[in-house]
Amino acid sequence: MRKTALIITALGLLLTAAAPSQAEVTLDGFLQGLYGARLDEDNPTSTEHTASETRLQLRAEHFGDRAEFFGRLDFVWDGSDTVEYDWELREGYLKFRLGKYFDFKVGRQILTWGTGDLIFINDVFAKDYRSFFIGRDDQYLKAPQNAIRAEFYHDIGSLSLVWTPRFEANRLPTGRRLSYFNPMAGDIVGTGLGDEFYFDPPLPEPKFENGEIATRFQRTVGNFNAAVYFYKGFYKNPMAMDIASMTAFYPILNVYGASMRGAAMGGILWLEGGYFDSREDKDGDNPFIPNSSLTGMVGFERQVAANLTVNGQWQFDYMTDYDIYKAQQPEGVFVRDEVKHLFTSRVTKRLNMETVTLSGFVFYSPSDEDAYIRLSAEYKYTDEITLMAGGNIFDGNYANTDLGRFAINDNAYVKITYGF
Amino acid sequence: MKKVSQYLVLVLMSVMTVSATAAGQDADEIMKKSHLAYYYAGDDGQAEVTMTLIDKKGKERGREFSMLRLDLEEGGNQKYYTYFKKPSDVSRLTFMVHKSSGGNDQRWIYVPAVDLVKPISADDKNSSFVGSDFSYEDVSGRHWSEDNHTFVKEGELDGKAVFVIESVPKEKYKGFSRKVSYIDKTTLLPVKEEYFDKKDELIRVFTAEKIEEIDGIPTVTIRSMENIKKGTRTVVDFAQITYNVGIQDNIFTERYLKTPPRNFIK
Repeated sequence: MRKTALIITALGLLLTAAAPSQAEVTLDGFLQGLYGARLDEDNPTSTEHTASETRLQLRAEHFGDRAEFFGRLDFVWDGSDTVEYDWELREGYLKFRLGKYFDFKVGRQILTWGTGDLIFINDVFAKDYRSFFIGRDDQYLKAPQNAIRAEFYHDIGSLSLVWTPRFEANRLPTGRRLSYFNPMAGDIVGTGLGDEFYFDPPLPEPKFENGEIATRFQRTVGNFNAAVYFYKGFYKNPMAMDIASMTAFYPILNVYGASMRGAAMGGILWLEGGYFDSREDKDGDNPFIPNSSLTGMVGFERQVAANLTVNGQWQFDYMTDYDIYKAQQPEGVFVRDEVKHLFTSRVTKRLNMETVTLSGFVFYSPSDEDAYIRLSAEYKYTDEITLMAGGNIFDGNYANTDLGRFAINDNAYVKITYGF
Repeated sequence: MKKVSQYLVLVLMSVMTVSATAAGQDADEIMKKSHLAYYYAGDDGQAEVTMTLIDKKGKERGREFSMLRLDLEEGGNQKYYTYFKKPSDVSRLTFMVHKSSGGNDQRWIYVPAVDLVKPISADDKNSSFVGSDFSYEDVSGRHWSEDNHTFVKEGELDGKAVFVIESVPKEKYKGFSRKVSYIDKTTLLPVKEEYFDKKDELIRVFTAEKIEEIDGIPTVTIRSMENIKKGTRTVVDFAQITYNVGIQDNIFTERYLKTPPRNFIK
């Protein structure tokens, strides 16, 4: 699969480069070193560092009269785990326009929609928390999908349709460099305890009907951008358990949702909601498959002083058939509330002609009694060289909550990037 | 006799008032024409822009971007589209402004690395444009009707005959409390602007470094802004300028934010 992708990219590059057009291929990218240290000593993982890697990203772009090609290829020398060279095609797509109303993007691509700041409801595209938790650049939170995106633009609004033939799961901590909660063990585990704790659940069978479909219709309503969404696929996290084989799996999911975002009260206000329809447990009576839930959020961002931007979000998550769920939970474990609350806030301060950026992001759930704090300081030494230091701090009173499960993965990192 | 002198004083006062009003109107008229010449040249425009940011130690940083502008009405609403090329960490990023001459502007950014379209809170027009000494308002223009203008004198600056006009904001304003503009008599373009703070200290100086005729329209092709207090300076070079190229309104939408209009942006 990877080889095919590389060959396609190489061919695409060659072809587009060879095409007689006035535009040429532009190449750029960056070289980056990232080093992360653990702040918790008792983590049951098998690596010493959370990150010790050198990364080269190459970007190639070519556009002609009818289509444009874009490729983003990462080469990584990873010294954190077992020392190895690796590469990943982050993006490799063709973009073209059909007639007056249709835009297509075909190939490996990063996809984002919805209104939240690091809270995703209707954005059911793949995330990479392995990267997000250890200090890689923000762009790595989004994992690529091999997909076709068709967009229809009209005066009444725009309709987007994304078809991902092979389900793309979230990239979650595997136990090697970040530990996680294992319900079987009833505790936080990692590969330091044994290779059997390497977390790599099987994906849904690669069948046509197991592809993912995500759609959005959006239009402008006054000052606001309003959208409705529909998703058909699977939970992006392996939230279900097959009791026969004792393995986690990705249960079938539909999401129906809506959002609004626009300028209000001197800032930007957003609202988003969604119904997570757990198709394999419609009555909520299967304790090994998540119940359906209704979730919503409201957020507001404003520039409060020169170069200082602050935002805040509140999200609730209401679980259906909660009584059945609660009765099924084993003794002695923390049981979530019927309505869960999550608050987040981001503060960004820019200094010294925007060469210094200080940023803090806090997730806090009073219902789950857990929190996650992201801090970073970035200095653009020159246009090419950027220095960064940051930390990821988790806290939780219980091992099985959304953030508490990562509680002993605290880390601090430094990063140097040379852009070209 | 006393009555006559009182009458004379009255007449003199009213004449003075009338002439003062006339000069005031002139200043308004000059500032309006200057605003239109500087911010509304042609019906639309396109340029390749190079920005050089110089800090107080003389260290330079660069920004390169393509810029498109469309005037919806002369002196009124406008739309701006910016496509960043350099530095590398912001390459391919696009930025769009719907400037509303009456109300608040709307701004959006598109970050291609994460396929993210985001509206930006546009509350503070005085905040810096991409870290430079130019503010958002310097880029898109402060409407002339927001200030009271007074004609100071006619003069000469760098060999050019200029009108010197002083502007004071009608409502309390963070950007400046007084501005002195030197307007070229022939092109009506601002040659120099001096911004003063509430202590009446000079804080920023704008200079039109180079004025050229493009498609028959006098255009400031190199401009600079110096921040006296911070000791920083930004020089902006507009190249490959073209006017009236037929930029359509639909370019300033999310569709084109995500896929740049390649007939204008290479």
